[in-house]
Amino acid sequence: MGRRNAPVRACAPALAFLLLLLLLGGGVGTAADTVSVDVGSIYASNEGTAMDPALGNIRGKLQSMFNYTSYRMLDRKRRTLAVGQVGEYDLPGRRTMRVTPLAAPEKKVRLSVQINEGPKSLLTTTLGLSRGGMVLVGGPSHQAGVLIFIISAE
Amino acid sequence: MDCRTARKRIGEKADGRLPREAEGELSAHLAGCPACALDDAGSSVVGPALKAFVESRAAEAEPRLDAMWTRVRAGIEEQRQATRVPAWIPRWAWLPPALALAVLALLIYPTVTERSPFNPSSFDVSVEDVESDTATVALVDKGEDLPRVIWIIEDGKT
Repeated sequence: MGRRNAPVRACAPALAFLLLLLLLGGGVGTAADTVSVDVGSIYASNEGTAMDPALGNIRGKLQSMFNYTSYRMLDRKRRTLAVGQVGEYDLPGRRTMRVTPLAAPEKKVRLSVQINEGPKSLLTTTLGLSRGGMVLVGGPSHQAGVLIFIISAE
Repeated sequence: MDCRTARKRIGEKADGRLPREAEGELSAHLAGCPACALDDAGSSVVGPALKAFVESRAAEAEPRLDAMWTRVRAGIEEQRQATRVPAWIPRWAWLPPALALAVLALLIYPTVTERSPFNPSSFDVSVEDVESDTATVALVDKGEDLPRVIWIIEDGKT
């Protein structure tokens, strides 16, 4: 009898640990008051015809929206931010982006976005996105082309 | 056959290693060589006596050799027992921790590793306000299937 229950007893701590992990994982992944903000910096130019595979399924969309021949991801960072918490992202060319999640209805995300170039404010905007949504901010010149920033939020 | 070869053959005969085809040749030589015949006669007497002596010593030593091998086997078995997993740990005990580690790796994977390429689920974006101190800003909307773009025009450069 005792030996028959031994495997169950041996498994119990591991199962409890698994359950805890799943609960914690689920809690982090679905918390409505945190937003995972992903910012990618793309260098678009007419130098060559390179298309960075890291751009995923937006490659075709970039080509259909802009007249550049080359798109290369220079940097990508993701931060998980609470509502009201400021996330700072370093961008190419001594620029910075400050993103602050604002209070929003469920399944929606509101972001206050500020892009600075040194002391100058290049852009200040407030965006409303669905979770998993994306917006592009482009235009700042960089080398022989421009920068296009991908802002996505989950 | 010369005497030197004959003595070598006599030694082989005493050891029981003489080839059958050489027996006749050796016998012919012994028949005509008294010195070698004497050697052969001596070997024939000493060989079996020596064999009997060695066998008797081996028989005396056998119990001690058996005891020694018993100890060696016991030592080997003891070493094996020491390296074996204790019986109270089930053989599958590694499975739950391995499973837990796998789940942990899956949970952590999206945050600590290179992320998948951008695959947005929606381009539905509302721009509540937009302004710039130093540039002209344009809002570009080319349809539902394409992302909305905020374009910063710095000093008419782009």
